[in-house]
Amino acid sequence: MISCTEFIPAYSEMFKFLQRCGGVEAVDSFWEYLADNFLDNLRDLVKEHGIRGCWMYWSHTLNEEAADFTMTIDDEAGEFEIIMHHCPSKGRLLELNHVEPYHDYCRHCDVIYARVLEPLGYSCTADMSECKQARCRFTVRKKDA
Amino acid sequence: MPREVIERSAADNEYMHKDFHGALSAGLDYIAEHYGEDAVREYLHDFGTSYYAPLKKELVERGLVAVKEYYAKIYEAESAEFEISMSDDELRIDVAACPAVMHMRKKNYKVSPLFVETTRTVNEAICEGTPFVFELVEYDEKTGKSVQRFYRRSK
Repeated sequence: MISCTEFIPAYSEMFKFLQRCGGVEAVDSFWEYLADNFLDNLRDLVKEHGIRGCWMYWSHTLNEEAADFTMTIDDEAGEFEIIMHHCPSKGRLLELNHVEPYHDYCRHCDVIYARVLEPLGYSCTADMSECKQARCRFTVRKKDA
Repeated sequence: MPREVIERSAADNEYMHKDFHGALSAGLDYIAEHYGEDAVREYLHDFGTSYYAPLKKELVERGLVAVKEYYAKIYEAESAEFEISMSDDELRIDVAACPAVMHMRKKNYKVSPLFVETTRTVNEAICEGTPFVFELVEYDEKTGKSVQRFYRRSK
């Protein structure tokens, strides 16, 4: 068993393995596969509760991941935002001295969550400009809001 | 509902997100579907060799106690029921039910038929190039119950 506390390096190494097998397209294809096959919990929450479903989903996951974040929801405006002050996943990868993170590790969040949320009527914006410092900003807006 | 804000620091919570087991399992299935079962073993062998390089080094330097300490910490953190027995030349880990498999069963995540390789292939990779060998003596796919044996390679 690989402990869930060591999943992030396993995930990063999986991206590298897939890139060796089939290039960047294989990595993107895997992220899309995960969105389609593994993110039903997010998809179902947003279908049932609207943008509040994002709040419910990430309240659970980010607390279990011991993230350092500010999360905001404005139901009336149809806006949800996570400001990640220190991403626990990228942060862990950066702490490792003997394994290099996958070069484009952080992009998986953008690809996976957009693929789940955009068909439900939401637009997603990911600001990854500081992801090398384990910081990012992810915003979800209702398209007709 | 009015605008709501929550702020959390890393120190507010324990790092234990068991749904990651399901994501790993899905990843193994993806690799198997696209590149074959041997590719799953190759990926896990590569991961076992690279990520666990410090544990492999400790296994060479300190012997089986290094693996014992590592797995005791991992299984305790995941609240597993397990027993470890050890002599100079052999370490045996009896896991009553794999916490990863049990979590996936509880959450109705698909458990990859190759999930066993996260134990077998990874531990074999950790032992490769050391004086020790790994053997997965028993494994129950339904619960992940296992008997794992690390022992000194015969000369």
